[in-house]
Amino acid sequence: MKSEFSDRLSPGQLNSFALLLHRMINRIRQSLELSEILKTTVAEVRIFLKTDRVKIYRFHPDGSGEVVAESIKDQCLPSLLGHNFPASDIPSEARDLFRTIGQRSIVDVANQQIGLSSFREGSAEVMGEMDYRPVDPCHVEYLVAMGVSSSLVVPIRDGENLWGLLVSHHSLSRHYSDQELQVVQLVADQVAVSIAQANLLHQTRLSAMQEATINRITALLHSTPEMQLQAALEQTIVALQGFGGRLYISLPNSQFPLHLPQHLFTVGSQPITPQDWQSEEATSQLAEFSPFEHHPHWQTWLEMEEPVNSSSGVWAIADLYQAVMPSDLVTALIEAQIRGVLILRLQYGSHRLGYLTVFRDEIDVERIWAGHPDRDHPQHLRPRQSFETWRELKRNQAHLWTLEDIELVKALGYHFAIAIHQSILYQQVCALNTDLAEDIQRRKQIEQEIIALNAQLEQRVRERTLELQQANVALVEQIAEREKTLLERQQAEASLQRLSHQQELILDSAGEGIYGIDPQGKITFANPAAAKMLGYSIDELIGHWMHMLVDHARPDGTPYLVSDNPILETVQAGVVHSGSNDLFHRRDGSSFPIEYVSSPIWEQNQIIGAVVVFKDITTRQQIERMKDEFISIVSHELRTPLTSIRSTLWLLANGWLDSHPEKSKRMLDIAFSNTNRLVRLVSDFLDIERIKFGKITMDKRTCNAGDLMIQSADTVRAMAEKAGIHLAIAPIDAELWADPDRIIQTFTNLLGNAIKFSPVGSTVWLTAEVLNNEPDHSIAPTTTRISEDQIANQPNLSSPTSILFKVQDQGIGIPSDKLETIFDRFQQVNISHARGHGGTGLGLMICRGIVHQHNGRIWAESQLGAGSTFYVLLPCQHPSQQHS
Amino acid sequence: MSKRILIIDDEPDIRETTQICLEIAKGWEVFTAGSCQEGLEKAIAEQPDAILLDVMMPDVDGLTTFAEIQANPATRQIPVILLTAMIQPSDQRRYNQMAIAGVITKPYDPTTLADQIIELLN
Repeated sequence: MKSEFSDRLSPGQLNSFALLLHRMINRIRQSLELSEILKTTVAEVRIFLKTDRVKIYRFHPDGSGEVVAESIKDQCLPSLLGHNFPASDIPSEARDLFRTIGQRSIVDVANQQIGLSSFREGSAEVMGEMDYRPVDPCHVEYLVAMGVSSSLVVPIRDGENLWGLLVSHHSLSRHYSDQELQVVQLVADQVAVSIAQANLLHQTRLSAMQEATINRITALLHSTPEMQLQAALEQTIVALQGFGGRLYISLPNSQFPLHLPQHLFTVGSQPITPQDWQSEEATSQLAEFSPFEHHPHWQTWLEMEEPVNSSSGVWAIADLYQAVMPSDLVTALIEAQIRGVLILRLQYGSHRLGYLTVFRDEIDVERIWAGHPDRDHPQHLRPRQSFETWRELKRNQAHLWTLEDIELVKALGYHFAIAIHQSILYQQVCALNTDLAEDIQRRKQIEQEIIALNAQLEQRVRERTLELQQANVALVEQIAEREKTLLERQQAEASLQRLSHQQELILDSAGEGIYGIDPQGKITFANPAAAKMLGYSIDELIGHWMHMLVDHARPDGTPYLVSDNPILETVQAGVVHSGSNDLFHRRDGSSFPIEYVSSPIWEQNQIIGAVVVFKDITTRQQIERMKDEFISIVSHELRTPLTSIRSTLWLLANGWLDSHPEKSKRMLDIAFSNTNRLVRLVSDFLDIERIKFGKITMDKRTCNAGDLMIQSADTVRAMAEKAGIHLAIAPIDAELWADPDRIIQTFTNLLGNAIKFSPVGSTVWLTAEVLNNEPDHSIAPTTTRISEDQIANQPNLSSPTSILFKVQDQGIGIPSDKLETIFDRFQQVNISHARGHGGTGLGLMICRGIVHQHNGRIWAESQLGAGSTFYVLLPCQHPSQQHS
Repeated sequence: MSKRILIIDDEPDIRETTQICLEIAKGWEVFTAGSCQEGLEKAIAEQPDAILLDVMMPDVDGLTTFAEIQANPATRQIPVILLTAMIQPSDQRRYNQMAIAGVITKPYDPTTLADQIIELLN
C-alpha cells in the first residue's frame, strides 16, 4: 500500500486517500449487514471519486444482475437501484475476464477508449499499465444511452465467483488515475471480504434459521406424549414455502394391521384424485383417504425418477409441466394448482417409513428491469437504447427448489423419520406398555382377587380351624366319653364274662342237670351234667324241642303230652313244678327216673323261659328200693321168727299142747331159738349201723394173731362138728394192732359161712402169713374176677408189715358176679337157704366194716363147686408208727 | 269144718308151728312143703282145699310158685292164700292183681288164723 502508490499521489491526496480508506474500511467493518456495507461503500467511493454515480451491481446466477447499492449525486443520473439488467448487457467474455483475471475497465466515451488492466492477487501492484484501446461502439452506445460519459468498473470477486461489479459512472468525461483505481480496487477487495463475511453471516443466519426451523419442527416431532405431526408438517410446509404438503406414513404390515389406515397428514392443497384411482385394497374403509401414494404409477414413477441425491431419496420437481411423470399424476397435481413437488422418502436405516411431500404453487415473479427488452431489438444486435424502469411481472412461474430447500427438507425428513420411527417404537412400546399395563392391570386385578380370595380363604380357614378345633374338642370329649363307656363296657363285659364264666363254671360244675328253655320249649342252654345224663352233647340239645328230646313221662312210663307237660306249663303259665320219679329219656331211648324242679324265668313281668333242674335218682331209687327191700327183708326177718314165737306161745298158752308134752317142749325150743334169732338179728343190725356211721369204737390193742385165730376156731368148733366139717387152723405168732373181739367176730363169721356152705366131710382152713412189702398187687388172683373191695378200698398200706389171713373152704363156691355183692346187705347165696341155716345176711357186711376200721382189706376168691377163699389183710402196726 | 290145707313156706319153724296150730287147734289136715317144687307135687297129690303160700322164699319165690300153681291145671282151681310179711303198698297192689283168695300177714294171729282162712275161701 505504501511505496509506489504513495509516490504518485500528492501528500494531500495521499492523506485524504488514507483517510478515506481508513474511514471506509472502518465503516465497512462496523456493520455486518451487507446492504449497509454496500450503501456505505458506494457513498464513500462516490465522495472519494466525486463522480455522479457509484453503484454496486450484483450478478444473478443466470447472468442477469441487479443494482443493489447506489449513490447518486444530486440526481444527475437516474437511479437504477433495484433495476435488473439482462445478462446480455454485459457480454460474457467481459464477465469471464472480470471473473478470472479481475479485469478492471475504464471507459472514456469522449475518447472512445477503454482501459483494461488485470489485477494480480496478492499484490497491490497493478499488473501493468492500463491498457487503452478503442472501445466497442456498442458499449459506447450503451453507456451513452445510460447518460454515462465515463465509467470505472471493478469486479467484486467472491472467491472464484464473480459476485458483482463496483461501478462508477460520471456524466462528464473523467480520467481515472491509477491511484484512484487502486483505491477503488482496495475498496472492491474489502467489499469482497465483506461480502464473504456477509455471505458467511448469511449462511450462518440461514443455517441458524434452518436450525431453528429444524429444531422447532423437531421439537414438535419429539414432543410428548403425542408427536405433533400435523403441526410439524404445517411448519415444514411453511419453512419450505409450500402451499400444501403431505406426510404419508406407511408402515410394514407387521407393525400395523392391514385394516388400519395408513397415517396420512395433509396440509393445504392436495392433489385431486379421481374415483377410479381407488386401489382395490382401499375400497371400503379407506374411501376417505386418497391413497395417492398407493397409486401404482406413483410408485413406479418414483422408482424411475432418479432422486436428486441417490442416497437421500429426494425428488425435487420444480415444474410439473416439464416433469416426466405419468399424465394422470400430473393431472391430479396440476388440477390442484400444484406446480412444484418436493418428495422426500422417509427412511430410518433400512426401514421405509413413508413420504414427505411439499407442494409449491405457481408464483408471480416481479422484476424491475431497466428498459423493456421486448421492445428493443434482440440485444446482441443492437445495444439497448432505453433504460426506463420496467416492471416485469412474470406470472405462474414455477418456484424453484433451492439447495437449501433440499437440504432443509432432507434434514427435516431425517428428523421426521427419526420421530416417526421413534413414534412407532414408542407406539409399539406404548402398545406393549398398554398390553403390559393391561396385563398388569389384569394381574393386579387377579392379584386383588387372589388377595380377596386369600382373605376369604384365610377367613374360611380360620372359621374352619375354629370349627375343627371345636369339633376336635368335642371329639376329644366324645372319645374320652367313649373310652370311659368302653372301659365301663369292658368292665361290664369282663364282669359279665366273669359272671358268665362263673355261671358256666357253676353250670359246668353242678352235679345236677340244668337246662333252660325258651317260651316255645326249645332248649336254650344246658349244662354238661344235663347233657351227660341225657346222653347228648350240649350242642345237640340246644335249639331242640325239650319235650321231644327227653320225652318226659310219669313214673309209670306214660308220657306227658304237650298239653299236660308240667315243664311246658311252667314256661307257659309261670307255674313252678317239681316232681320225683318222673322219667326222662336218654338219647338211646332208655329212661331214667329224675327228680326235677322247673321254674319260670321272669324278666320285667314277662316269662322269657324256664329253668329245669333235675337229677338222676336212679341210684336214689335203687337205694330207696334197697331201703324198701331192706325194710321188707328186715321186717320179714323180724316177722318170721315172731310168727313162730307167736304160734308156739299161743299153743302153749291155750293149753292146746297139754296133752302133748313132747310137742310142748318142741314148741318151747322153737320159741327159744326164734327168740335167739331175733336177738342176733337186732344186734347185727345195730352193729351194721354203728359200723357204717363210725360209731363203733374199736378197742384196739396189741394182740397176737395166733391167739385170735385160735379163739375164733374155738367159737365155731361146735358148729363145725355138728356140720361134719373139719377145721384146720394154722396160727402164727405175729403181733398186730387190732380190736381182738372184732377180729374174732370177723373170723368167726367167715368160718361160720365156710362151714355153712361146705359139704360134709370137707375141711375149712384158717391160715395167716406175714407180708413185708406193699402187698396190694402181689397176690395172684385165683379167680378171674377180683372183688371191688380190692380196688375200691385202698387203706393206707404203707406199713412195712401186714398179715394176710385166709379162710378157705371146699364149699359150693360163689358165682363170680356175686363176689363183690356178697359184702352188701342181705346178700346170701340163695342155695344156702335150703339148708335152713339162719344167718342174717349181714355178716359179711359187718366183717367188711370191721376190717376197714382196721385199715385192712377183705375180699373173696372163689370157684364154683370147688370152694371159696376169703382174704383178710390187716396191717401190723398202728398207723402212727408206720413211718419209723 | 275141717279143711285140708297145704302150707308152702321155706321156714321150717313156721311150717311146724302153723301146722300144729291148725291140726291141734282146729283138727284140720295140714300138709307142708318147703319149696315151690315140693309144694306143687304136694298140691297135685293131695288136692288141698287151700294153699297157704309164703311169698318170701329163696330160689323160686312165692309169686312164681303161684304162677306155677295157676299154670298147672291140676292145681289151678285150688284157692291160694298168700302168707307174707311183706305188705308194702306196692306189694298190696301186686296182690290185688293176682287171682288169689287173699292175703294173711305174718305174724298171723293164731287165734283167728283158721277163721281167716275160712272166710277167705268163701
